[in-house]
Amino acid sequence: MINILRWIVFAIAAIAMNFPIIVTLVTSFKSPRELTSNPGLWVQAPTLDNYATVFTVSDRLNIFLYLVNSLAVAALGTLLAVALALPAAYAIARGKVGERTLLPLIVNLRAVPLVIFAIPLYMMFQWLSLLDTRLGLGLILTIVNLPLALVILVNAIRDLPGELDEAALMDGATRTQILLRVIAPLCRPAIVTGVIFGFITAWNEFLFGLMLTTSNAVPITVGASFFFAASGGGVQWGVASAVMIVGALPPMLLGLLMYRQISGSMTAGAVKG
Amino acid sequence: MTTKTHRSPASEFRLLTMPLVVFLLVFLGFPAIVNLVYSVSSVSFETLRSPEITGFSNFVAVWNDGAFWQASWFSFRFGLLTALLECGLGLFLAIFLAPLIERRSWLMAILMLPLMVAPALVGLMYRLVLHEFAGPVPYYLWTWFGASLSFLGPGSAFWTLVTVETLQWTPFAFLLFYMAYQAIPREIIEASAMDGARYRHRLWYIELPLMAPTIVVALLIRFIDGFRVFDNVYVLTGSGPGGSTASLSIYIYEAFFKQGAIGKAVAASVVLFIASFVVLYGLNTIAARRKGAAR
Amino acid sequence: MTFARMKKGGLIAAAIATLLAGPAFAKVTVLGWPGGPEEAALRAAADTYNAKPDVSDDNKVELLFFNRDGFWDKLQADLAAGSTAFDVNLLATYSIGRYAPFMEPVELSGEAKVVYGDQVLTTMQYEGKQFGVPTDLSLHFMYYRKDLIDALLNDDGAKAKYAEIAEKHLGKKLEPKNPDEWTWDDYAATALYFTQAVNPDSPTRYGTVLQLKNLLFNMMVFQSLPRAYGGNWMDEAGKVTVDSEAYRKGLETYKMLYDAGATPRDSLSYEFAEANAAYASGQVAAMMQWNAAASELMSKDKSPTVGEVTEAIAPPAGPEGRFTHIHGLGFGLNKNAANKEGAKAFISWLSSKEAALVYARNSGAPALTPEVVKDVAAERPDLVKLGEFAGKYGYVMNGGTSAKALSVYELQAKEFTGYWSGQQSLDDALKNTEKGMAELLK
Repeated sequence: MINILRWIVFAIAAIAMNFPIIVTLVTSFKSPRELTSNPGLWVQAPTLDNYATVFTVSDRLNIFLYLVNSLAVAALGTLLAVALALPAAYAIARGKVGERTLLPLIVNLRAVPLVIFAIPLYMMFQWLSLLDTRLGLGLILTIVNLPLALVILVNAIRDLPGELDEAALMDGATRTQILLRVIAPLCRPAIVTGVIFGFITAWNEFLFGLMLTTSNAVPITVGASFFFAASGGGVQWGVASAVMIVGALPPMLLGLLMYRQISGSMTAGAVKG
Repeated sequence: MTTKTHRSPASEFRLLTMPLVVFLLVFLGFPAIVNLVYSVSSVSFETLRSPEITGFSNFVAVWNDGAFWQASWFSFRFGLLTALLECGLGLFLAIFLAPLIERRSWLMAILMLPLMVAPALVGLMYRLVLHEFAGPVPYYLWTWFGASLSFLGPGSAFWTLVTVETLQWTPFAFLLFYMAYQAIPREIIEASAMDGARYRHRLWYIELPLMAPTIVVALLIRFIDGFRVFDNVYVLTGSGPGGSTASLSIYIYEAFFKQGAIGKAVAASVVLFIASFVVLYGLNTIAARRKGAAR
Repeated sequence: MTFARMKKGGLIAAAIATLLAGPAFAKVTVLGWPGGPEEAALRAAADTYNAKPDVSDDNKVELLFFNRDGFWDKLQADLAAGSTAFDVNLLATYSIGRYAPFMEPVELSGEAKVVYGDQVLTTMQYEGKQFGVPTDLSLHFMYYRKDLIDALLNDDGAKAKYAEIAEKHLGKKLEPKNPDEWTWDDYAATALYFTQAVNPDSPTRYGTVLQLKNLLFNMMVFQSLPRAYGGNWMDEAGKVTVDSEAYRKGLETYKMLYDAGATPRDSLSYEFAEANAAYASGQVAAMMQWNAAASELMSKDKSPTVGEVTEAIAPPAGPEGRFTHIHGLGFGLNKNAANKEGAKAFISWLSSKEAALVYARNSGAPALTPEVVKDVAAERPDLVKLGEFAGKYGYVMNGGTSAKALSVYELQAKEFTGYWSGQQSLDDALKNTEKGMAELLK
């Protein structure tokens, strides 16, 4: 009985939270003509034209380039952020180094609109020739991702019992060795969470993608509107929907591949207490 | 046995924070200095390389700007409400649906989908979804109930934005809570079940306290994210009639690019940075002291 | 770090640097307005130019487009930082003062005066200097449902109802007229008549759709109304004159229409796309909208419900006459251009008759003089109307091309929407606007 209730709750939550995605999917199969006459969720004359528009590669519209760019910058921005955050998180959680100032300082970076750094960064990147490069954008996304990665990892390492470290220390291990051999494997679920959230954030970032790229490193969020802009500030909703669906597929795939890691976190809990 | 641990030199820990510190110094050091100079200068896009230092007039201008306080108030309300809603809903779903998801983990993937779409594009889609003539929501409300609601009018825009944000980011809280819930050792639950503890009792006195650190972290992250909301609000209502839906991020963005008031925008950010640092520092200290007392 | 590793790092850095620097193309890079007809027209023009035998390989034109959202902000950052990513860039009348410091005046071809006429060339001038070629002109049409208005004009019962509504809401008895003879009062009365909240028998839910989002472009649509009553940003002496009867009348008319429910309640979040969608649904009788919407709203294919019964004319009249806001989009020269000579050559060609005709034939919207437009009149009858309306009714507010023009629009958008949404009084809105504008335009 309670299980039926659970299914009902699940269905309501799934539909409500995914509603914009459902509408986007439906809209992506509508022709411009149908869009003005049929606002409902049932498509009378489904068409693949919108997808055809998105995948037609011309000298300007190259969705594959934007996807590859996004993939590259999001991967760099995520992995580097986690790699930098993990040792720092360990030091903060265990050594109490930087717990008072460094941690709030970095978390603060998430609270401040980073757009104020856009102009100085632009000038710096110009000087370093990093403008319109994947490397440059990836480095900025690392900054964007650092606060969340750090918070999640500090939280996870604090949860691990200190006896683990002490035992290893007795065996003569250094802190770095403990971090790599004991801590890192145990906080795999947290690392995976950090990677997933970081990748999603990086993939969906818009402002720096807009400001710091012009053609070679344009990410999908910025490239998307190339497809659906219509005259006078209008929007071609059908094409917009198609490009959105295509643009959301890679993080969805990543999520699907990694959700097992997250749900497999029970093992991590076993060492606790 | 503890001698070694306690003497373990702090320098080794410090070394571990170095990569992060150096990275931030390299990439944010220069921009931060430039911004500090801008905040006390008269500067425009024409004088980016030659700002004229004028003292604290930018800060005074920010302080006296009603729009700044209006935006701060919007951000605060928005951040608090969405954080509470998202964490409340996320916690409920994580615990209530856990038995379903444990057996079929693909269900989780469905609930995570909303996170995968860029907030800017979600905002764009809601422009269609909520449109009185082209959007499905008003369409069905009209055909089924004959009702025509205003979703983005002056009275309702705030709540619509809260709903949009909550629906997209509840999965974030849900995911964190589900992980924390799964991490609660089975033995504890089984032991308490054997003691005959009621479900509600177990939830309240055992499970939730164990999840408390994660709940605090989730509330903090969601509050910060709600506070600095930009993309979806900016696309959906802009800064709103009379600036009524301008978050602090939108205020700063518009001061920066639309008004070209770079000094003022940066000064507002510095104020925000200091204010939130003070809050975080305070929270951190309280947490540390509590932990100390508990031991 | 060992020496070997350092060396390796250095090599990687060097390799990255080479990759990043990229080969130097001696081309002319042109930054255009993405999506829509402006892009198609620019493409055609670039192809024609590149095919010319006297254009060397070094000077061929390559096109570049940014995202449309945030286009002007990104351009601002690029120009201010001295970007060399493009040689020629897009420019608009309302932003010319903002970008002029980072651009160079250009020399147009000898034909430019004949092709565009002095009036249109001024949309690309700042402080007396020509900064660009005016390739596209934007202005407003009043779009209306011919079928509905005709039915109203032929129905005596409806006429009585119309007069009654006008008397009740506007304080004067009006009778339906042919839209080409409308004053703004006639427009308001018609909007009310076709609103179900006012007139339950109305065939449409709303009489009009106003774009009231806090957005600078919406102020351009709005200001033709106060302009028809003699409103202006500043008088000739440079004093801000927004706190005037003309603006009062305009703001009150909009507020009255919004409060009476003559426009959707969500109008405060509407911009171009939303207004078009509302009109295309067939539930709106008339609206002011950019000329760019004509291809969508007057096409049977794109707007099946209204495409065949929609008419587009100049906006209604006020005591001072009939007015439509105009501004131009055009192309100018980046001060830091890498290939300045090539860029100048392209700009000069772009202002020739040949280029203008190519641009016009490929869905661009140049405002051409009557002598030139007749060459394309058969294919583009709308351009005849565009040129005619721009010449007869077009205006630019005093200060509308100044360095702070965009900020003025932003300010008005915030204050005026604050009034329409009921958050502040009309007096406060006008007082704040006047004060802010005096600050910006001093």
